[in-house]
Amino acid sequence: MSERVICVRSVSKSFDDGRIVALDGMDLDVAEGEFVAIVGPSGCGKSTLLHLIAALDEPDDGSIEVAGHELASGHDLTHYRARHVGMIFQLHNLLPTLTAEENVQVPMLELGLSRRERRFRAKQLLSAVGLSGREHSRPPELSGGERQRVAIARALANEPPILLADEPTGSLDSEAGQRVLELLEELRRTRGLSLLLVTHDTDIARRADRIVRMLDGRAAPTVRELEPGRTPTRAVA
Amino acid sequence: MTLTTLVFKNLFRQRVRTLLTVLGIAIGVATVVALGSITEGLKGSSGEFIRAGGADFMVAQAGASDLSFSAVSESDWRAIAARPEVDRATGFLLEVADVGSNPFFLLFGYEPEALPDEPIELVAGRLLAPGAAHEALLGGEGAQALGAEVGARVELDHTRFDVVGIYRTGEQWRDSGAIVPLKTAQELASKTDVVTAVHVWVVDGMDAHEVAVAIEREHPQLAALEEPADYGDVDQGFKILDAANLAISLLALGIGAIGVMNTMIMSVFERTREIGILRAVGWRGSRILRMIFLESLTLCLIAVAIGIVFGAIASRAVLLIPAISSFLVPSYSLDVFGRAIAVGVVVAMLGALYPAVRAVRLSPMEALRYE
Repeated sequence: MSERVICVRSVSKSFDDGRIVALDGMDLDVAEGEFVAIVGPSGCGKSTLLHLIAALDEPDDGSIEVAGHELASGHDLTHYRARHVGMIFQLHNLLPTLTAEENVQVPMLELGLSRRERRFRAKQLLSAVGLSGREHSRPPELSGGERQRVAIARALANEPPILLADEPTGSLDSEAGQRVLELLEELRRTRGLSLLLVTHDTDIARRADRIVRMLDGRAAPTVRELEPGRTPTRAVA
Repeated sequence: MTLTTLVFKNLFRQRVRTLLTVLGIAIGVATVVALGSITEGLKGSSGEFIRAGGADFMVAQAGASDLSFSAVSESDWRAIAARPEVDRATGFLLEVADVGSNPFFLLFGYEPEALPDEPIELVAGRLLAPGAAHEALLGGEGAQALGAEVGARVELDHTRFDVVGIYRTGEQWRDSGAIVPLKTAQELASKTDVVTAVHVWVVDGMDAHEVAVAIEREHPQLAALEEPADYGDVDQGFKILDAANLAISLLALGIGAIGVMNTMIMSVFERTREIGILRAVGWRGSRILRMIFLESLTLCLIAVAIGIVFGAIASRAVLLIPAISSFLVPSYSLDVFGRAIAVGVVVAMLGALYPAVRAVRLSPMEALRYE
């Protein structure tokens, strides 16, 4: 078994003064290089879990440790966000005034790379996601699938070991969604990334090494577990 | 891509709003520059007059509301001239005369006997003859304004004078006016036995400052002006101008800051989600802060550049009025531009403060959820 990179223990999170409970004692472990799909009905806390692991929000209770970093309240987590996790949202969340290449460079400004290095790395990443020649296009000039590819390149900009994807194909048609998913799998394989993906789509979840089903803010019993890299044989109910 | 690229792209995504904000601040800066250059110009020509003809200092009535209202008695003048440490003391009367369409024509009354000692360069004709009551010398610019030459007869302050010479001193005030006999000027101004001020040259080797201090001590009703900055002692108008300048600068600052704050608040609110994205990809709060302050600063510095050009044009335009151009040359000193830049920078900082703090205080998720 590979080394554990994400360790979530008894995490709770509620909104609206406790009236909406998103997570209620959630536990999760993700191994290095593992592809874990999180599935569950709307409102079960999938996205909230991802946001907490991305340090975009803070848990009310419990602990989260990612790549040796304790995501405790009060810590400055900007360094963690910049270097240890790459986040892909359902909506691409690109900056509309910047070109594809500039959008990919945005996270790199925190790394202190030279302008030349940033451009070189952004071009390489856009080439890796199949967008060579589209470097100077702005988001409105790109298709939905292309925008999501730029967002993936941006998530990889600072070479994080963990990729977090929140419904990355949710706003795409099936063909574009399929291509984005293939890209994520390839990047994960070639770069040895751990991939934690939230989805509604059971076809997408089937491609993961392991599926975690969530219900009412916590993990439901696992249907099956696979070692990283093995082909799943059974669908998740 | 650099932070500056992002700053410019953010500013120009709402071009009309940015342009209107820049215009608003530019008008404020233009007012500061125009008023500042005019005030500085007035101070400059006044300062030049303090040491007119190479005098060490000028003595006038302390606390006068305006130099033209200053009155130094002839007895005080003679007492100053009689001091052993004083080489020469030339009294003169300054009268703001109504000449043609110009209500601000400067008429100087000098004793004709003192003129050969004044560094007046005769361009044409001769100096005033002793005892001739209605002879006049015209400064080069004064002659041009009146369209008069040597031999012409001109009406100055409702009195006819024969023009006997045209002179040049290199000083704005005297070159744009005329010199007439002191006695005649005193009669015209109804100020017998007084002069407006006295230019003083001290004996070689004497300390001019010590002499000035001694004169002020012995004649407390008088003020000795050694530097342009002392001019306010005999012309309260300068203090009023300075106060007006400060008030307008503060007003421009306040209005500008509110305008910039409005623009920056709208801009930051509209981009709340984008700021959330920047936080999500690892931007530090300090970088967000720097981005917003840089946007504000860029906006204001563009406005300052435009405002300086507008202000300079406005102050030059004032010179198209002949009555004003006779005694005023706007001064575009570093001080004036420095004040304009300071207004711009302070406006930028004040305007960006609240939106920047708000942007940094938002949690990334809170910002990403913003619709």
